Amino acid sequence: MGRLRRTNLAAVALTLLLAWLVVYPILVVGADAADGTAVRAFVTRPGEWAALWASVWISLVSVILAAAIGIPLAFLFEWFDFPGRKTLGALIALPVVLPPLVGVIAFLFLYGESGFIARAIQSLLHLQNAPWRLQGAVAILLVHAYSMYVYFYLFTRAGLAKLDVSMLEAAQALGASRRATLWRVIVPLLRPSLVGAAMLTFMTALGSFSAPYIFGGGFRVMTTQIVATKLNGDLPLAMVETVALALVAIAGLVMLRRTEGDDILVALGKGIAPRPRPIRRRGVRWLAAGAGWGLAVLLLLPHLTLALVSLVPYGAWTTEVLPPVINLENYRRLFSEAERLRPMLNSLWMAAASTAVAVALALAGGWLVVRRRVALRRAIEALLALPWALPGTVFAIALAITFSVHAPLQLRFVLVGTAVILPLAYLVRALPLTGRGILAAYRQLDPSLEEAAASLGAGRWRTLARVTLPQLRPGLAAGASLAFVAALGDIVASIVLYTYETRPVSIEILSSLRLSETGVAAAFGVVLMIVSAVVLGVGARR
Amino acid sequence: MSGFLQIDAIEKRWAHNVTVGPITLDIARGEILAVLGPSGSGKTTMLRLLAGFETADGGRIAVAGEDVTTVPPARRRFGMVFQHYALFPHLDVGENVGFGLQGRGKGDEGRAKQQISEALALVDLAGYERRKVHELSGGQQQRVALARALAPEPRVLLLDEPLSNLDPALRERTRHELREVIKRAGGGITTVFVTHEQEEAFDLGDRIAVLNNGHLEQVGAPDDLYEHPSNLFVATFVGRANVFRGASSRALGGNGTGVLVVRPERLRFADAGLPGVVRERRYTGAAAFFLVEGDDHQRFEVLAEPDAAQVGQRVYVEATRVIAL
Repeated sequence: MGRLRRTNLAAVALTLLLAWLVVYPILVVGADAADGTAVRAFVTRPGEWAALWASVWISLVSVILAAAIGIPLAFLFEWFDFPGRKTLGALIALPVVLPPLVGVIAFLFLYGESGFIARAIQSLLHLQNAPWRLQGAVAILLVHAYSMYVYFYLFTRAGLAKLDVSMLEAAQALGASRRATLWRVIVPLLRPSLVGAAMLTFMTALGSFSAPYIFGGGFRVMTTQIVATKLNGDLPLAMVETVALALVAIAGLVMLRRTEGDDILVALGKGIAPRPRPIRRRGVRWLAAGAGWGLAVLLLLPHLTLALVSLVPYGAWTTEVLPPVINLENYRRLFSEAERLRPMLNSLWMAAASTAVAVALALAGGWLVVRRRVALRRAIEALLALPWALPGTVFAIALAITFSVHAPLQLRFVLVGTAVILPLAYLVRALPLTGRGILAAYRQLDPSLEEAAASLGAGRWRTLARVTLPQLRPGLAAGASLAFVAALGDIVASIVLYTYETRPVSIEILSSLRLSETGVAAAFGVVLMIVSAVVLGVGARR
Repeated sequence: MSGFLQIDAIEKRWAHNVTVGPITLDIARGEILAVLGPSGSGKTTMLRLLAGFETADGGRIAVAGEDVTTVPPARRRFGMVFQHYALFPHLDVGENVGFGLQGRGKGDEGRAKQQISEALALVDLAGYERRKVHELSGGQQQRVALARALAPEPRVLLLDEPLSNLDPALRERTRHELREVIKRAGGGITTVFVTHEQEEAFDLGDRIAVLNNGHLEQVGAPDDLYEHPSNLFVATFVGRANVFRGASSRALGGNGTGVLVVRPERLRFADAGLPGVVRERRYTGAAAFFLVEGDDHQRFEVLAEPDAAQVGQRVYVEATRVIAL
């Protein structure tokens, strides 16, 4: 009896805490945005509608481009065997796990108007000016396609790997040609994977900030528009814009959900995935391998460029094709100058703190939802997942508004300007990542394992430490490492909420770029990249 | 005999020491052939060679005189029922059954519809067209898979362990229904099915091909295999068998040089013969199995009346019929 009451109490407490974190700020903004003048200003200004429309079509085109690259790649790597398939298959999934800002500045250093390639062409052809300007919608779409194809690639590969080979054989035995099998069996079975990838790409593109911020120029999408309005001090308008973006995000999700339908595509029986087919013809095999390797180099080139730029000291590289001087000066400055080391330490501790809390909340959620099956389990699960459904900028603005007022009775405190606000913002963004990983792991965990531990005399904490956590480890580690890396490289929330004292790496990269200290910015990027890769590598270990 | 389905020295080499075949078999029109063997014996490989999912490294397969060895599965017109059925989860029952009917002459939807309902009626699932496959029970799924394979009127029906996914009680009933449907479909369709269960093979097959280590050990009617096994593997794999050698074989009337195989029901307690002590008695209702340990410590089974002997009793055993190998 007492145990039941305590469980329910815990469920209520967790629900309220999560609601306060992820719903309440949105409601505050929604209520405050219902302001006549601001709404009128939003409706009448053409720039606002243009930005909103730009957000929508950029996201839709990003989905199409990402699908066009990612799906064929997935088929190539899942179905055909050629030299280097495994290594390349892992390498080309890389862009998605690195912080977007790092990818964007790497892209800038490679393809930008003063980037590596533009510079090479300029000096080879003795041009007066850079051969192109990488700006506006085209540049944003390029960056999006370059990083977001990974969603389609990974989802399609996962879907193909789950395909039951006997399904394909059954279609053949019933007289279906290869083409008919593809369209009548494979594509319908892949549909959930493809819709999932489209949804993720759409949400990511809609919330994308680094690419439009760096490459946009005069071209505004809603995320950059909101931040610009906020920096101009027009808070009411920023709130209306935020609500508009949130509504677009929800509309997009609802529409994609609808295409997914309510089919339950359960596999009947045990599926054995088709094995990759070795390419028999020698020429074709080398062609495939060549294409694969060429592609990998193309995809990794920006990051290699970033590494190169990070080795060039300030002002040393002007018009030459290759840098005249290469040394570790930038890294030395990064680690020896207190003002440069600080953002690094800030990012590290804020990411660690937010990840730890997100893991703890997700563990509590997993226990209550999966094990105790409390009445509020749907609410808890929805609250954990909600921050994923809205762009980061929406939460950044919502937190900035909600926690800049001292009204304890409304549960609002002045947190903006303190060291707490950024970790809090990172925490909100981390909840869906740790939540999904840990809940999924909890669902796969056989309850009889915990019961066995209990029957062997282990108390609650010993069961947790010796049985539950070790069993949850893969899901927990995956969620936690993704959350940590996302917080480490975050720019969306940081640019709205940072103070000079708590500025994270991303902000430091931006100010280094503004001061034309490209080498330092690149060095920061490389460090972020390495830390992210190490953390993710550890998190993915089985 | 020149069969409807001719398998001529068909062979598949997986690795230099793992080979299936060469297997030669003739199957008459309308015959049901059971391929029986332990796991790893190559029976699934043989079925997949027939279906065209594996390409043969040697030999040929012909149907009604037409060589189909290199014909791809899609144009072979062989129906197949998969072990886990492989029903398409995104299609309903009717669409699954109609899958093989599409692309065969356009505009004939009415006829296709007719064929679907006929196929479903054949497996006793009339009116199930709009049901989702995951709503069906295991037995119903199995019948949908059968209807789907039969609907395009295949020349040969292939079944891969068709009953292994069902629970034992259902399995026995389904066996008879399955045989009935196959014999009824198109006036008896030529069928090859793979199983590792002797009882299933006996019940369903007109003839049985016993496979071991990739080789065909024996082909024959069930009683033929049981009474006249051509070697020790077939004798012990098909049905229960006691194997006697040397002195104990002589005590049962053998000449003592070869191996003597005696079925438990062909042994009985007598006043003289092979001596031994009853170690265990397993009661099955109508009869009981007595585990007897001979003086040479070899154990063997005797099937007899439940009260024919007691545990610990000294007995003599004689054989009413022996198989000398």
